[in-house]
Formats: sequence, structure tokens, C-alpha cells
Amino acid sequence: DKLLVVPQDGSHWLSMKEIVEHLSERGHDIMVLVPEVNLLLGESKYYRRKIFSVTYSLEELQTRFRTFGNNHFLPGASLMGPLREYRNNMIVVDMFFSNCQSLLKDSATLSFLRENKFDALFTDPAMPCGVILAEYLNLPSVYLFRGFPCSLEHMLGQSPSPVSYVPRFYTKFSDHMTFPQRLANFIVNILENYLYYCLYSKYEIIASDLLKRDVSLPSLHQNSLWLLRYDFVFEYPRPVMPNMIFLGGINCKKKGKLTQEFEAYVNASGEHGIVVFSLGSMVSEIPEKKAMEIAEALGRIPQTVLWRYTGTRPSNLAKNTILVKWLPQNDLLGHPKTRAFITHSGSHGIYEGICNGVPMVMMPLFGDQMDNAKRMETRGAGVTLNVLEMTADDLENALKTVINNKSYKENIMRLSSLHKDRPIEPLDLAVFWVEYVMRHKGAPHLRPAAHDLTWYQYHSLDVIGFLLAIVLTVVFIVFKCCAYGCRKCFGGKGRVKKSHKSKTH
Amino acid sequence: GRLLVVPMDGSHWFTMQTVVEKLLHKGHEVVVVVPEVSWQLTKPLNFVVKTYAVSHTQEDLNREFKIFIDAQWKSQQEGGILPLLDSPAKGFFELLFSHCRSLFNDKKLVEYLKQTSFDAVFLDPFDVCGLTVAKYFSLPSVVFSRGIFCHYLEDAAQCPSPPSYIPRMLLKFTDTMTFKERTRNLLAYMGERAFCHKFFKSAADIASEVLQTPVTMTDLFSPVSIWLLRTDFVLEFPRPVMPNVIYIGGINCHQGKPLSKEFEAYVNASGEHGIVVFSLGSMVSEIPEKKAMEIAEALGRIPQTVLWRYTGTRPSNLAKNTILVKWLPQNDLLGHPKTRAFITHSGSHGIYEGICNGVPMVMMPLFGDQMDNAKRMETRGAGVTLNVLEMTADDLENALKTVINNKSYKENIMRLSSLHKDRPIEPLDLAVFWVEYVMRHKGAPHLRPAAHDLTWYQYHSLDVIGFLLAIVLTVVFIVFKCCAYGCRKCFGGKGRVKKSHKSKTH
Repeated sequence: DKLLVVPQDGSHWLSMKEIVEHLSERGHDIMVLVPEVNLLLGESKYYRRKIFSVTYSLEELQTRFRTFGNNHFLPGASLMGPLREYRNNMIVVDMFFSNCQSLLKDSATLSFLRENKFDALFTDPAMPCGVILAEYLNLPSVYLFRGFPCSLEHMLGQSPSPVSYVPRFYTKFSDHMTFPQRLANFIVNILENYLYYCLYSKYEIIASDLLKRDVSLPSLHQNSLWLLRYDFVFEYPRPVMPNMIFLGGINCKKKGKLTQEFEAYVNASGEHGIVVFSLGSMVSEIPEKKAMEIAEALGRIPQTVLWRYTGTRPSNLAKNTILVKWLPQNDLLGHPKTRAFITHSGSHGIYEGICNGVPMVMMPLFGDQMDNAKRMETRGAGVTLNVLEMTADDLENALKTVINNKSYKENIMRLSSLHKDRPIEPLDLAVFWVEYVMRHKGAPHLRPAAHDLTWYQYHSLDVIGFLLAIVLTVVFIVFKCCAYGCRKCFGGKGRVKKSHKSKTH
Repeated sequence: GRLLVVPMDGSHWFTMQTVVEKLLHKGHEVVVVVPEVSWQLTKPLNFVVKTYAVSHTQEDLNREFKIFIDAQWKSQQEGGILPLLDSPAKGFFELLFSHCRSLFNDKKLVEYLKQTSFDAVFLDPFDVCGLTVAKYFSLPSVVFSRGIFCHYLEDAAQCPSPPSYIPRMLLKFTDTMTFKERTRNLLAYMGERAFCHKFFKSAADIASEVLQTPVTMTDLFSPVSIWLLRTDFVLEFPRPVMPNVIYIGGINCHQGKPLSKEFEAYVNASGEHGIVVFSLGSMVSEIPEKKAMEIAEALGRIPQTVLWRYTGTRPSNLAKNTILVKWLPQNDLLGHPKTRAFITHSGSHGIYEGICNGVPMVMMPLFGDQMDNAKRMETRGAGVTLNVLEMTADDLENALKTVINNKSYKENIMRLSSLHKDRPIEPLDLAVFWVEYVMRHKGAPHLRPAAHDLTWYQYHSLDVIGFLLAIVLTVVFIVFKCCAYGCRKCFGGKGRVKKSHKSKTH
């Protein structure tokens, strides 16, 4: 069968790529729609690429990503944090929008896609270009999504999300909230709608242009399946819908053998073992002062530290710390000598930590990372540091805590065993559901009827209003009748009194 | 591991038994606790069965059930679960609920269960006793059921069910309701919340007695670790679910086996017209004579051969094409390519066998979830529902001819069949997996939503909304007061002048 893939560049592509490769191995004909300027969407033997032109250069792309990465280390008031993060995200998000704009105006590419009769479309709906394209090409679609931003899957998928125990993104709350936290969560929930509007309203304009009708973006999401890159070992339990499939840990493959280089590092570490340190593929540099603080802390622990870092080498780097440009993260985490994992707590890294049962020291930087870190912290499987405020001592203490305090290892091992105990592997599940959509041309029988209701109908407000009206009418009539009855009974007296009064006047 | 099973009698046990057998096959030690008086549970089983004495006889059980079934042939309840409170079913339920007292009166059995350290309880919640047992022995539990009565799934699993598009049980509504239907649905939901505890009063009383602390049905249901529900979203309407609610619909459909010689002969003799399979399930043994004759007449008017599973008296007007049998291999017959239609009481087992094998259905729902099952198949264009009390021979004849001759019924049921059977894992394996999961991990506390720890007004954020409203009102009040004060200051002179002026003229 023929599958059109509309990916999201950057780390999001990492797990989608794996599903795509697996589908290709199963004999499906796969075409990936790729902007000519991109980071990770390279050539592959597993799929063909359809390239469309964009208005920016590779240099601009790289600059934007570098600025985006570096900005997270800028000091600033925490109150302005959300606004700054929003502006910072827009550096990258604006570029994705322009790339969508280019695509939807590229009539040659569009007609090429129309002529190729695809069976389904597979996309990451964080940026809804693929969603619009699926509507335009009239294809059933499958989404692969982390849930960020805005918990789109719940917002657009009609799953109830009580603000009382479902924490919103950016709040860093757990599922047990105090009253002030619930208050804040309530307000953030309202702001989330505004964020949705800010991020996506302009897509409605280009979608309306393309489809030649007024488009409301949420209506385009109604018939899809959501493949979600989390599970309930990591996420707090909450209501979900039948068209949501949970694939947490899809990126933890069986660990491979280490290369000689890394094998040598690990073996040389002795009884203390190693610590793996990576801030992910999106962060290439750390400000010098911060890097030196980190290097100092790393020098104070007995473990060997393998630090994936592409920036300038800190001058005070200790002997036990080895800088590498790249490291086989999952394979290293799977090694029995690994004692801890210092991570920016992106969802991929977190799941590799859970999979391999390695306690974590987390330095969240942006996006869902703070919330990911909070989830691991509440489960006692890691320690979170504020990367801007932390000192060398903080990092040293955090590392010593997760390495020496047995409870961290126990908790992460418990999570690991729960996570890995599943009836079917997430990768197989993902492949199954993509094929399912291709076979059955979507999954309309999983679409809840809630989509056809207005918000007041959904909450039965019209019915409640109607019942209230009846009750009030009955009460009113009964009251009037009683009043009338009273007047009848005591009427004579009353009138007598009145006339009496008027006389005396 | 060691598993304690507290089953429910009757057709409920059929599928639960397949799960238990598979668990046994996988090497688990299984102990099943059953009352000594029952229909299905006393049949020889190849695992450890512990029986306990009950205060009633087999005749009592049969009589109470017959009162219930006979009532269904006279009039059928309308309007949700509430009429059930005061229905002929009451006596039957009281009998079922009383089992639990009998179980705990058997001190030897209780001591044995206490001594044997079980990893989990696998239970059918229909008679409530399994829940009481799980709570009494503090064991993690897995529930196995077609659905959960009343609002206990909403309360105990914290699973939201907006009454605007989730039809309540026994109302025969779909997920698309008119304003009137939505009103009735909401009223039914409120009614459940207000009155259901009365229906389960004696069950809750017995549980309170056993646990020596007052408990409600919600208290009994809420420790449940995993809910295995025997339905899926080919039959059920899509709705919010919780991560610990697992759907295993179609667990009872197996690959059809070759037919026995007797049935093979019937099918082969049917010629080009094929056969119709007719069964009202294992729980209905007799049909009132007049009704049975009407049915027999209608069956005689179609060209197909009808295989009718019926244990009552043979209707005198039975036609030549109709063959009465005491029992039939339902799933195997439905799987035969010559089968054209299935006349069923639309119990969930039968419905799923129909879906599995892709056979259009004529449905005669009698009680329980059957009306709702029939409604769901009807809205999907895979069958025709008849009111068994009101239908005439003509109605049945027309219904049969419609589902057999109108191609759309066959197409729809085949589409449902292909959707239903297209699944990443077989429901039986899924059920076994989750029971073992609970045994391995001593429950599934990580799937327990934090909503359990909130009061109802906290859950709905009413305290937060109240607080925000109070702030808004205070601000509005202060602003208003300030404005009023400001106005007085500005125009104050004038006002006072006017006033004094007035008083002077007076």
C-alpha cells in the first residue's frame, strides 16, 4: 500500500522514522514529504522523498535552531518565563509555518501528490500541515504525537480532562494538586485555548485558501487515529478515547553492542561505573560559565562521565569526564555499569532511562521537558535541577543522591518493569494501526458522537436549563396557588383590616 | 501464581471459563469458589473448586429465575435501569446477593482462603460477592463483565460519561440523541445516582456485615485494579475510557470447528437457500404457546431451513423446514457459508458470534443488555429488531426476508466483522495478560487516577470556580463602590444643594 508521510523536522522525526522504516520493511511503498532545507530528514533506502522548496536557506535554519537552543540559558525573571519561551519557540515555529505555506502554494507538488493515489497519510500534528494536506487529498490519516503543545489529542479528540487532577503543560504540577495549584491549573487551561489560537489560527487561513472554504482546524482532526508517544507509567492516569493508541517507549530498541571506543571507556571506569550525560540533539552549546560549573561538578564524582557535547571544551574539565560528539545513548544506558543519566528530559531520553532502569538527574530546558522531569521526580526516579540557577554543588549533590540512595534505583527499576510488561510491543502496535487505517480507509467507527454536539449540548446545559425552567415554573405555580388559597381563606379578615385602616385615617 | 476466581452463574460463566482455563494452562494455580446450588458452575471442571452451602435449593433458584423470565414474556420494562428496582428480577437478585452471606458463613472455607496466599482475585461483579471477597482478603482484583450496572464505572473507575452522547444502560438510545432523548438520558443518569443504592442495598448490607464496617457499592468497586469489559467499539459507541479499562469484546468467538454429522446433514440438505440459525440463549427454555406458534408459522413461510434450539413443547404447527434441536453448535453453524441469518435474543455472546462470522441478525431482545445490544446492531444496519411481545408472524417473516434478501445487511455485518477481527492481539490473550499483570505487580496502582482522592466539588473544580467568582464579584463591588464614591465627590455639591433647596421649599 502507498503511504504519504508528512514529518516534523527535528527530534520528533526520530521515532516516526523508526515506524516508517518498519512499515517499509513490511512492503509498503512510502513517500516522505521533505522541505529542501532540513535538519534530519535525510535520504534512506526505506523510502522515497518528495522534496519541495522553501523560502529560507540552510544557514538560516541552523542559525534559528542554534538561537533557539542557546536562548534557554539566558538568565531572566521567571515571571516572564512563559512569554519568553513562547517567543523563543516562535523562532522555530514561524519557520515551520513558512515551510507549510510554501508547500500548500506549490501547485506542482500538490498535483504530484494528487496523482499519486495514496492509501493514507501519516503525520505529526504538532504543526498541522499534514492535517490540512490529508483533507485536501481526501486521505485517511494517522497522527504520531507526544501530546505537546496544548494536549491537542485531548483538546481536539473530545476526551474529558478535568482540570482538578489533569495537570496542564508548563505548570510542573503532578496529579495531586493543592488548592492554589488547582487554581493555577484552571487558569492555565483557559490560557491554553489562547495559546492554541496563537499557534494555529494562521493555519486556518492557509487551509481555507487551499480548500476554498471556511475551515475550522479542529474539524479536520475528527476522523484520525492518534498514536501517542507516552504511556501510563510515565503519564498520570486520565480519561482517554478509543481512537488513542499509547506507544510510550517506542524508541527503546533492544540495546546493541557498544563500539570498541565506548566499550573501552566503560571498562576503564572500574567499580564506580559511568554516568551518561546528554542534553539532546537540539542543544549544541552551553554558555561558558555554566559549562565550567557543570564540568566542576562532574569532576567531583568518582564515576567516569561520558558527556555528549559539541561546544567548546570547558577549561576545567576533570580527568574523569570524556567529551564526545555523539554517543550511543540507548546502548550505554543499557550497560550494567551505568549508574546515572544526566538528561534534558526530552521524552525520548526519559523513555530510554525508564527502559533501561537508570536513575536520572534532569535539567529540563524547554517544551514538555519540565513536565517530564516532574513526572519522574514524583515517582522518585530522579532529581530535577533548574539549569539556570543550579551551582556545581547542586549538580554534585544530585548526582551523589541518585547514585548512592538506593531508592532511586529501586523506583526506576519498578517503573521499568511496569513499562516493559505489555501485551504487545509499541513499534508493532504503531505499525498495526497505520496499516489498519490503510486497510479500512480510516477508523470512522472510533469517532465519538461528541464531535456533533455544541459545547452547551455536550455539557447538557440545554437540558439542565430546560429542567430548571420546569422546576421553577412548577414552584412558581404552586406558590401562586398557595398564595391565592391563603388569600381566599384569610381574605375576609385582610379586607376588613384594610378598610378599617382607611377609616381610621 | 495463585489466583482466586469468584464467578457468576449462567451464561456469564461461559467466557470467563475460557480465560480461567487458559490461565490454568499457563501454569497458574486456580481456585474457584462456587455455591453448591447453581446451573453451570457445578459442572465438572478441571481445576480446584471450593463449594459452600447456600440457604436455598436448586428449585428456589429456578423458580425465581422463571418468575423473572415469564414476566419478560408479559411486558418488557421501558426507561432505563430504574424500573428494575421494583421488578420481578428483584427476588432473583436477592437470591444471588445472599450467596455472599453463605460464603462467609462457611468458616472453614474462609480460613482456607485466608491461609492460601493468593496473588489476585478474578471476579464477575454481577452478584457483588467477588468484590466483597477481594476487599475482605485485601487482594488486588480484576473485574470481568459485559458492562457495569448503574453509575459504578463512572464512580469507581472515575470514567467520565457525558450523558449528552453516552446512552445510559437499558434505554435503547444511540450516541446521537434528540433533545427529548438527551433529557430522558440525563434524568435516567440522575435517577441511577439517586436510587441505585437501593437496588444493591442487601448486597451492600451483607458486605458491611462481612467487613464489619459500613460500605457502599462505590467503596466495593473502587479498589478494582483492572476492568475487563466484554465489548468493543464495533458494538459499543466510542466514549471516554480510563487506562485500566480494557475491552475484550468477541473473546467468545473461536475459529469454527467442523460440524458434527447430524448438523452437517441438515446444512447439506438445505439446498441453495441455506439455513437460518435460531436460538434464544441458554437462559430461556420455554416460550408461551401462542407466541411459539406464531414464530413457528413465520419460520414455515421462508424457503430456508431453520435450525431452532428449543427445549419447550413442540409447537403443533411446526413446518417441515423447521428442525427443533435441544442444543446446537451455534458458533460453528454461524461460521458455515450456507448460513443466511441468525435469529437471536441478542445476548452479548450471540451478538459477537454473529459479528465474528458475519451473519445478519433478527433480534428479539428479552432482558438486561439485550435491548441495547439490538439497538446498536440496528443502527449499524446489521440486523432488524423485533418486539417479541408485540410481533406477529408477518413481522418475523418480513424481518427474516429483509435481512436475507436485502444485500445491505450482509454488507454491513461483513464490514463490522472485518473491523472487529482486525486487532493487534486476540481478546483472550489480552484478558489473560491483564490478569497475569495484576498477579505479577500486585495490582496496578499506577493506573489509578488521582480523581479518587478528590471530593465531587473538587473534581468539578467548583471550589476553584467559586473562589474566582468571589474575587470577580469583590472586584466588581469595590470598583462600583469607588465609582459611586467618586461620583458623589464630583457631583456631591450639586446634589446637596438640590436637597437643601428642596427641603427649604417644603
